[in-house]
Amino acid sequence: MSRNKKEKTVVSTKPLRTRIYIHRWFYLMILPVLVFAIIFFYLPMFGIRYAFFEYKGILEPVFVGFENFKKMFSMAGFWSAFRNTMELSIIKLIVNTGAAVIISLLLNEITGLKFKKAAQTIIYLPHFMSWVVTASVFALILSPTQEGLVNSFLTSLGFVEKGAEIYFLGSNRWWRPAYYIINIWKETGWGTIIFMATLAGINPEQYEAASIDGAGRWNKMRFITLPALANTIITVLILNLAKIMNLFESVFVLQNDAVVRQSDVLQTYIYTQTFNSGALPNYGYTTAVGLVKSLVACALVLICNYASKKVRGRGIV
Amino acid sequence: MRKFSKVLALTLVLTMVMSSVLTGCKKENGTEETQTKTQTQGATPQADQEAEIEKPKKITIMVDGTLFTKANGRDAFEAKWEELSGIDLEIIQPDHDAYYDVVGQTLASGDWPDAILLSSTFYSGYAEEGVLWDMTDFWENSELKASGRINNEAITDSLYIDGKLYGLSPARGNGCITYVKKAWLENVGLDVPTTYDEYIAMLDAFTKGDPDNNGIDGDTYGVSSAGLIGVEAPYTNYLPEFYQDAFPSFYKNADGQWVDGFSEEAMAGALGRLRDAYEKGYIDKESLTNGTSDCRNKFYEDKFGVFTYWAGTWATNMRTNLEANGFDGELIPIEPIKEVGAYLERQAPVWCVTAKAENPEGVAKYFIESMLDGGEMQQLFTYGVEGTHWSTKEEEVCGKIYEEGQFHMLENLETKGTQYTKNHIDPLLSIGNFTAFEDPGAEQVTADTRISQETFNNHSKVVQLVPSTDVMSQYNGDLTTLKREIIANVVTQGISFEDEMKRYEEEGGAEWSKAIVDSLNAK
Repeated sequence: MSRNKKEKTVVSTKPLRTRIYIHRWFYLMILPVLVFAIIFFYLPMFGIRYAFFEYKGILEPVFVGFENFKKMFSMAGFWSAFRNTMELSIIKLIVNTGAAVIISLLLNEITGLKFKKAAQTIIYLPHFMSWVVTASVFALILSPTQEGLVNSFLTSLGFVEKGAEIYFLGSNRWWRPAYYIINIWKETGWGTIIFMATLAGINPEQYEAASIDGAGRWNKMRFITLPALANTIITVLILNLAKIMNLFESVFVLQNDAVVRQSDVLQTYIYTQTFNSGALPNYGYTTAVGLVKSLVACALVLICNYASKKVRGRGIV
Repeated sequence: MRKFSKVLALTLVLTMVMSSVLTGCKKENGTEETQTKTQTQGATPQADQEAEIEKPKKITIMVDGTLFTKANGRDAFEAKWEELSGIDLEIIQPDHDAYYDVVGQTLASGDWPDAILLSSTFYSGYAEEGVLWDMTDFWENSELKASGRINNEAITDSLYIDGKLYGLSPARGNGCITYVKKAWLENVGLDVPTTYDEYIAMLDAFTKGDPDNNGIDGDTYGVSSAGLIGVEAPYTNYLPEFYQDAFPSFYKNADGQWVDGFSEEAMAGALGRLRDAYEKGYIDKESLTNGTSDCRNKFYEDKFGVFTYWAGTWATNMRTNLEANGFDGELIPIEPIKEVGAYLERQAPVWCVTAKAENPEGVAKYFIESMLDGGEMQQLFTYGVEGTHWSTKEEEVCGKIYEEGQFHMLENLETKGTQYTKNHIDPLLSIGNFTAFEDPGAEQVTADTRISQETFNNHSKVVQLVPSTDVMSQYNGDLTTLKREIIANVVTQGISFEDEMKRYEEEGGAEWSKAIVDSLNAK
């Protein structure tokens, strides 16, 4: 250990040019990745300038200063999309994480290894279905007819009258609950992996000691399992919070005209402005919306990084 | 270890570099493959010695999947076209679903093709942006216009923007016609509806009665549609009987002024009719979330009896699918009810010459105009290539037996088990007649297809082309979203039209609409 430290100190005192020469093969290895990142990640960023232009993709862009931003901030559609992005993402994050923790705890209680593996495999599977397929499956399950599984079940229980079935995906009252449930179905299983790994790392001696002290299953979960998971839960929340602005596919495939006010998020708003405007789109405007989205996402990453440092003692970036 | 690192590093870098180089080579080779064509010498039947227009040596076109694709024998098409014209042809054919993305990228790159196929929205938009060559004078003096082969001049007339023509459509745009299941109509003892009251009475009988004769009343419904309003003009085409004279977007009224039909009295009436029918269960409850394939499947499963869908080939497809499911497949394509007057025909995709074409007259004459030459070139664009797409040999194709000399389409190269129906131009929608010989495929068209198409063609009007303006680019996206939301809310969510129109005013809809109307009238 002390030798390593010594070596490290010796190397770090050498001039940069010498250090680069010493590690030239490693620099050579990283070169393709660096070139790739510059070409595909950094050069396209010059497109940000279009946020300050009126540009329809053909004629020379016309500089309009902050006009696109002024228009954006005056549009009810933009604010509705912004609000929905935050609400849908944050609620989805909390609900999905909560469900993943609960399922992880339940899975952890299963003693039969075969049954546990089978249960894990089954709950992971929906993650591998595309959102288009998921939307089609749930359109059938939630159909507002007696052919829809949910409405048929509710009718048999007497909660819904025949002929007055609930149009879950076409109702501005029911769309959001349906959206969260579909998300739980699809993503919770995958979300349990990290919690299961944490649970596997808990020393069994703690449970044994607790049993000797007379603790039941509930108390063991309350005083051993949950505290052990707490750090992981916070980490997962923080890491995912940085990604909440990237909501698109799940909303896009489940959206319809009646629920635009409840479902339109920034990415679907940009899509509509670009492809369904009935005229040549002003790419300047959609770039401006995209830029604001990126800035908010960037701010969230920094906040998360700060929160991570506070909670875990180290940042995420 | 250091030696190993060196070798590893060099290997990885070489692999990356070589893969990049080889990929580049492959692309280059691929490009060369499409770009380098042996120029066919020799005259074509269409060569007009008297023409003053210079014949181009090469024409580059950009087209969507409505022309035979590479997998469907496009090379044979290209070779035949080059043989007939004596011109080198380069075809850029992006994936059909991503066509307009690629068109935008291509135009932005500055490397424009000579001719390009555009939908009405992009046609008016690109005309406004100066991308398209003004072919007004060319058309006025063209051989095709003077030939008498054109059977529908209204199609070309509808393409003028501010008195200028920027492209030509070789065929009509087609549209949707209302099909009624004949057996259902007979089972409920009704005649073909001719008025809205009769139409509603039919929907009522289909919803409450037992039109499918399965012994159960009320397990069917009247009509279904993919959405309550279309995403592009003519918007109202899936539910024309309810919209009638209402139009939710911009149109030029009888006084020659542009107006927005959404805020007119007719729209309030239309939404009232839709809401009433939706509440009574005449309209499929899932219309908001239906895709067109959902509607077709439900129709084939005999769940509803009235379907407004594309005229022409679809009439035969629907009969085939119904019969395959064991149901009576006879459909009646009805004439528009009195209140509708005429079905709306969409604007056909338009062939345009780009403003950067070196010889625009040559491209227009030898590529666009020649599509309707009344002879071999028109046959090529309509049916494809003999031996690849069609034949007159005695043979069996997809289970059907043809005699020697009988024209028939061949088996689809990509989708085995199905026959081709047409190439780029639908023979029933073509605006040019065959004159050199009889339409070779006329006899292969089924009675269902012909009746449906003729009924539509005789009872439709082309939807107006709306010019593009800067103001429209600024506001139409938000405005369209708001309008669609209001229609859905009034029809399915129980919100009153008055309340929603108040919101329309408050959220800027009326202001955006006025700004767009003003910009259109100021042109």
